Amino acid sequence: MLSNLNLSLFLAYKSITKGNKGTLVLTIFIMSLIFVNLVFTASIFLGLGNTVNNQVINTLYGNVALEPKTDEKYISDVYSLKQKINSVPGITGISAQYVTGAAFSYKDKSGAWAIRSINPDDEITVTTIHNFMIDGEYLSKLDSDEIILGKEIPGGYGGDLEHLSLGGVKVGDSINVLFNNGVSRSFRVKGVFDANFQQSNNIAYISQKEMESVLGLEDKASLILIKTRDLGNEDSYIKQFLELGIKEEIKPWTVYAAMVKNITASFDMIALLIAVIGLFVASVTIFIIIYVNTISKRRQIGILRAIGIEGSVIMHSYILQAMFYAISGTIIGLFIMFFILKPWFIIHPLKFPVGFVSLLIVPEKVMVNTISLIAAALAAGLIPSWMAVRETILEAIWGD
Amino acid sequence: MVKESFTGIEKETLIEIRKLTRIYIMGEVRVPALNNVTFDIKRGEFAAIMGKSGSGKSTLLHQLGLLDVPTSGEIIIDGKNLLNLSESQKAKFRLERFGYVFQEYALLPELTALENVYLPAMALGRRKEEYVKNGTKVLEQVGLGKRLHHRPREMSGGEQQRVAIARALINKPDILFADEPTANLDSASSKQILELFQQLNRDIGLTILMVTHESEDRTYVGRMIWLKDGELAEQGT
Ligand SMILES: Nc1ncnc2c1ncn2[C@@H]1O[C@H](COP(=O)(O)OP(=O)(O)OP(=O)(O)O)[C@@H](O)[C@H]1O
Ligand SMILES: [Mg+2]
Repeated sequence: MLSNLNLSLFLAYKSITKGNKGTLVLTIFIMSLIFVNLVFTASIFLGLGNTVNNQVINTLYGNVALEPKTDEKYISDVYSLKQKINSVPGITGISAQYVTGAAFSYKDKSGAWAIRSINPDDEITVTTIHNFMIDGEYLSKLDSDEIILGKEIPGGYGGDLEHLSLGGVKVGDSINVLFNNGVSRSFRVKGVFDANFQQSNNIAYISQKEMESVLGLEDKASLILIKTRDLGNEDSYIKQFLELGIKEEIKPWTVYAAMVKNITASFDMIALLIAVIGLFVASVTIFIIIYVNTISKRRQIGILRAIGIEGSVIMHSYILQAMFYAISGTIIGLFIMFFILKPWFIIHPLKFPVGFVSLLIVPEKVMVNTISLIAAALAAGLIPSWMAVRETILEAIWGD
Repeated sequence: MVKESFTGIEKETLIEIRKLTRIYIMGEVRVPALNNVTFDIKRGEFAAIMGKSGSGKSTLLHQLGLLDVPTSGEIIIDGKNLLNLSESQKAKFRLERFGYVFQEYALLPELTALENVYLPAMALGRRKEEYVKNGTKVLEQVGLGKRLHHRPREMSGGEQQRVAIARALINKPDILFADEPTANLDSASSKQILELFQQLNRDIGLTILMVTHESEDRTYVGRMIWLKDGELAEQGT
């Protein structure tokens, strides 16, 4: 009944506006903190995932990558394949690479790493490794016996796996590389890069010419990295490649990202756990606030019911109060998220082993958090207010 | 339809109470707080329920006011036994036709006097202009025309009790129930309340049933209903 809702609203409104201001402010403050905590945790983990994705795209595979057909070791006719790919609108870069394993040695230290060969002019259209040189220089087209190393390899550059490194190779030093096919060559270290991403920092790069001479191959590739203008439309590009008759295996970056997802998989679990704890705290807070309220007003509630005001009206007034706390907390929380934390993290991103991470606030997640918080408030308001109108009127007025 | 009573003899019966019994069960013990009480209340009466502590006065008032469920008996208004009503029908009945004043005034502290008073009218779905107007009127009637916007804590106990009375009057009840309404008040305030009841009874013909154990209150009332051990004792005027 409308008059009943009106009355509930009236009672809730008066209780909020004329009740204890300190309690009100504190309650809403707690709600907003819980909301910020919910959204923040989700957003930082989403930001982390986002950073990993960007790293996969920008330092390892591009948006889409081609791999050899299942029963072949290399992609053939790379030159004409690249021309085909280039004919698709929206392609901004293509880089063909040979990828192989090799044993590196320097003085008495050695280790196994992946080695990729590139044409630097092509590579810089796809990856951003060239922006991350922390020592020496990036490869240039004419280099033949030169190599650049991810920072995990040389040692002494603050890698995460220092104990597996070559133990202190400097730019200008020579290292020995024994390729998987048995060929051994000596390379001068031209530069060291740090892509802020361990997977990328475990790779060394040499020039395409050098690799072709090592492998005795020409116009082939192990991997073709393709950079597209836009992110998220990989499927449509893949469709166009298929229409062009490309028979190689075509993989979007998401496939590769899934391989490094072990980094982020456990975060979802942590985020969920924090969310559940946060919602529990919110429920308990609201429960206590409403409970104390109904207990201190027990007699008044009894009298209201005695004079003929339905218990449901009183109950609804408390539920409305609980909702008000949750909704106000949400609004203030949104404000804190979007106008304080988000800008702050853009200026001061967190440095993680996967790179710089800032908040990724996804509207759907925010929506889910908002609804969960309000639902928790609803449930937490329901119980004490129901308890308050459940006892008999005489118990409420005269009970102890 | 009120029968004229200028002769002072014939008054319309408002409530018929028939063989009303309330037994409290406390574990093994049965406490017969009210035993086979039968009487009528007439429209326009100002009656006091009197008796010693524990004689069943409050119990009787709670049964009549539909705040408790008697063990047996009937309470008949307009030929209907009210005890057959559902809980929510009883609530509606209380809201529309009964007024209550308790020993503790139990006003909502967040509401002003006027808001406390018009709450029951809001619950009946009245329009705002109407309940504000009526609320103001009843507050003036109880002598609080100048306290409309005071909150309970800004008023004396006597004033708060008069706000509670105004709240009881707003829906123009058939009968006002009052359980020791002056017990928490000093003698001056008590006198004011009793005079107010007397005046309401005289001027608007309000039926009042009041529990009291102050025998000096008898000077205000038109009828006394004596209870002794849960049974009706002598009655008098
Ligand atoms: N909820 C209850 N449970 C058990 N016994 C009760 C209950 N309420 C009242 N009684 C008993 O019923 C009897 C009548 O109580 P009641 O409150 O009606 O007396 P009263 O006349 O109003 O007394 P007082 O003047 O002290 O208010 C008493 O013996 C009391 O102990
Ligand atoms: Mg009593």
